[in-house]
Amino acid sequence: MVSKIGLIVNPIAGMGGKVGLKGTDGVVEKAIKLGAKPIASQKTVEMLKEFLTNDSKNDDLQWFTSKGDMGGRELKNAGIKEIEIIYEPSGKNTTYEDTKKACKKFLELDIDLLVFCGGDGTARDIFEIVDKKIPILGIPSGVKMHSAVFGINVSATAKMLHEFTEGTLTIGDADIMDLDEDRYRRGEWNIRLFGVAKGIVEPTYIQVGKTCFESVSDDVIKDELTEHIVDEIEQNNNFLYLFGSGGTIDYIATKMNIKNTLLGIDAVHKKKLIGKDLNEEKILKLLKKYPTVKVILSPIGAQGFILGRGNLQLSPAVIKKIGVDNIIVISTPSKLMHTPVIRVDTGDKKLDQMFAEMEFMIVVIGYRLSRVVKIQTNNF
Amino acid sequence: MNRNPTAFLKEEYDELVKNDFDWKLRILETGSTPHSVVDGKEVIMLCSNNYLNLSNHPRLVQGAIDAAKKYGAGSGSVRAIAGTLDIHMEVERRLAKFKRTESSLIYQTGFAANAGLIPQLVGKGDVIISDELNHGSIIDWVRLTKADRAVFKHKDMGELEKVLIDADKKYNKILIITDGVFSMDGDIAPMDNIVELANEYGAMTYADDAHGEGVIGPDGRGIGAHFGIEGKIDVEMGTFSKAFGVVGGLIAGSQDLVNYAYNKSRTWLLSGSHPPAVAGAQIAAIDVLETEPEHVRNLWDNTKYFKKELESMGFDTGNSDTPITPVIVGESSKAKELSNRLYAEGVFALPIVFPMVARDKARIRTMMNAGLTKEDLNVALEKFEKLGKKLVII
Ligand SMILES: Cc1ncc(COP(=O)(O)O)c(C=O)c1O
Repeated sequence: MVSKIGLIVNPIAGMGGKVGLKGTDGVVEKAIKLGAKPIASQKTVEMLKEFLTNDSKNDDLQWFTSKGDMGGRELKNAGIKEIEIIYEPSGKNTTYEDTKKACKKFLELDIDLLVFCGGDGTARDIFEIVDKKIPILGIPSGVKMHSAVFGINVSATAKMLHEFTEGTLTIGDADIMDLDEDRYRRGEWNIRLFGVAKGIVEPTYIQVGKTCFESVSDDVIKDELTEHIVDEIEQNNNFLYLFGSGGTIDYIATKMNIKNTLLGIDAVHKKKLIGKDLNEEKILKLLKKYPTVKVILSPIGAQGFILGRGNLQLSPAVIKKIGVDNIIVISTPSKLMHTPVIRVDTGDKKLDQMFAEMEFMIVVIGYRLSRVVKIQTNNF
Repeated sequence: MNRNPTAFLKEEYDELVKNDFDWKLRILETGSTPHSVVDGKEVIMLCSNNYLNLSNHPRLVQGAIDAAKKYGAGSGSVRAIAGTLDIHMEVERRLAKFKRTESSLIYQTGFAANAGLIPQLVGKGDVIISDELNHGSIIDWVRLTKADRAVFKHKDMGELEKVLIDADKKYNKILIITDGVFSMDGDIAPMDNIVELANEYGAMTYADDAHGEGVIGPDGRGIGAHFGIEGKIDVEMGTFSKAFGVVGGLIAGSQDLVNYAYNKSRTWLLSGSHPPAVAGAQIAAIDVLETEPEHVRNLWDNTKYFKKELESMGFDTGNSDTPITPVIVGESSKAKELSNRLYAEGVFALPIVFPMVARDKARIRTMMNAGLTKEDLNVALEKFEKLGKKLVII
C-alpha cells in the first residue's frame, strides 16, 4: 500500500515556452522580463484536485513537501490539509539547488512516490539525487518533456497517481532524457538518454487461471529477455555483439556478469566484454576484426528512438557495415505499450530510407517472443 | 529442513480470496437449459456455450442412452491400445463428411486437442505466429513448444504479412494460429485472408474454432464453411463441448494431418477415450445439425434481435459478428455490479473485467441460446435496460 507521497513543484517550469525560449535553464530573468507567467503552480493544483475527485482513500496518504510555491501552497490550494513541510527554501527565487535539497530530504524519509511538476530539466535534477531509490511521476509543465516519467497531460497524471495508489499500476523503468540547452536554443534539436529512473508503468499480465491474471514484474520480463539474448549469443558463437544503451540492456548485461556502461556502446564476444564505452572509431576498428556482428538496441521509452539519439557512435558507417538485418531490438512489453513507433534518425538520408522501406521492426518482448512495431524515420 | 510442504496451498488460496480473484463455482440444479436453476434461483441463461440448446435435445439424449446400452459405460483403454470402438470411428467419418474435409480426429476435449497437437507441429528453428487475442488454451501450448513466437495485432493482416516476410527469411516451418471466433469479443478471424497470406509465404494455418463450430457457416459447419474454404485451412480445430452440446475436441483436415496427429499427440495416445455415450451423442448432434436447420436459424434470429434491441437502448455491444454479444459498461466494478444485479433479477450473465479486457472496456459477456423465446429475450432486455439506466451505463 502506498502511503508516503512527496511533492516538488518547480515554480518556474514552462515559463520559457510562452515567450519563445526553449527552456528556463539559466534564462529565468529574461523570461520574466519578456512577460512569462508561472504555470506550474496552477497545473499542480489542477492535477491534485482531479486526483482527489476519484481517490476515496486519500486519508491513507501522507503528503510531504516544501514550503511555499515549491508545493506547500499547491497542496493547500487543492484542499489537502494534512501536510508535512520537510524543506524550506532560503531565497525568494528558488533554483535547482532547492529541488535537489528537497530531494535529499525525501530520500531520508523513505517516501513511496515523488510527484513533481516541471519539465525534463526538473526530472533530471530530481533523478540526480533520488536515482532509482524513489519512483517519480511528472506533471508535465516544462517546455520539453521527453522523459518517460510524465503523464501525457494533467488529467492523465492524476489518473496514473490514482491507479498507482490503488495498486493497479506498478513501478518500472523510465528513461530520463537530456538535451543540450545551449545547442537547443541555437536551433539544434538533439536529446540523449541521461539515465534510467523508476517511474509508474502498466504491469505485464500473464493468465494463470481462466479469468485470473498475475501481474509480473519488469524484472521477471527482463530475466526472460536475458535468457533470449544468452541463447542468441550461444547460437552465434563467432558473432560480435554490440550492446546499446538503456535500462533493459543494462539489466541483461549485468545478469550476464558483463561490466557494461549504461549509456555507452559496449562490445561483447563469446559472452565476454571486449570493449567498453566505444566511440565510432573504435567500433569501426572492431568491425574490421569481426566479420559478423549484431547490435542489440532498446528503444528510448515513449520516444521510441533506437538510433540517432544519444548513440551517435553508431554512425551511418557503422550501421551500414553491420547491416540493418543484424539489429536486434528488445523491449519489455510495458515499455512498448507507451512506445507506439520505433524511430530512427541516423542523419544519413539513404540509410534512413532503408529503414523507412523496412516499414516495421521485429521487437523481442520476451523469451523467443516478438511482435512487430512500425518504424518512423521523419522525426520533425 | 523443517518445512510445511503444503502450506502454500492455503496461503495462495487465501491471497486469491483476499483479492477477489478466486473462482466462485456456481451450481446448476437443472441441466444447462435456457431456464436454469443456478444456486437455487431460476434464471434466464445467457452465459452457457450450449448455443444451439442441443445438450437437451431428445435425439442426443437417446443417442447417448443407446450407445451406453450397446457398449457400456466406459471404453476400457486409450484409443491407441484397445479403446477405439467402431462408434468412435463412426464419429470421425461423420464429422469429416459434415466438415467437408478429407479426414477428422476426435480428442477427449478441445483443450486436449490443442495440447496434443500444437507442440507436435513446430519445434526448434520454427516459428508460431499468433493473434494477440488468442484463447488461453492456445497460448499455453504455444509457450510449451521450442519454436519462436511472434504476435500480431488482433486481425491486422498488414502486421501478419510483415511477420511472415521476416519469418520466411529466418525459419524452417511457419505456423499461423488464430481463434476462429474470438471468445471475448465474438468477432471472426479473416480466415480467407490468412489462408491466402499463408499460401504466399509457405505457412501452415491452424484455426481454433471452438466458438464457431455449430454456429457460423452454412448449417453451422464452422469457419472453413463460413468463408467457403473448406479443406483449405490446414488444421480446423473445434469442440463438441459448446454448440454441439456434448464434449470432445476435434480436428478436421487432410488424411496426412490425421495420420500424423494420432501417432504424435500425447494427449490422444496417453489418455482414455470417450465413453460410448459421448460418441453416441456426438453422432446424434451431427445428425441434428444435418437435418434440423431450425436450431442454427433460431440462434441467429435471437442473436440479431437481442443485439439490435441492446443497441437501440444505447448499449455498446462492441464488434461482435456472432452470438457472443458483449455489453460493454466501462469500469470493472460496474460490470461486476451489473452482473450481480442481473442475477438478482433472474438473468445469468457473467462479467469480464480487466485484465481480460482493457481497463475501460469491462463488460457483461452474453451468449445467445437457440432455445430462448422472444418472451425470454424481452424479459432479459427489460432487465438490462432498467439496470443500465440505474447504473448510468445508458
Ligand atoms: C477458443 C477455445 N478453444 C478451446 C477451448 C477448449 O475446449 P474444450 O471445452 O472442448 O476443452 C475453449 C473452451 O473454453 C475455447 O473457448
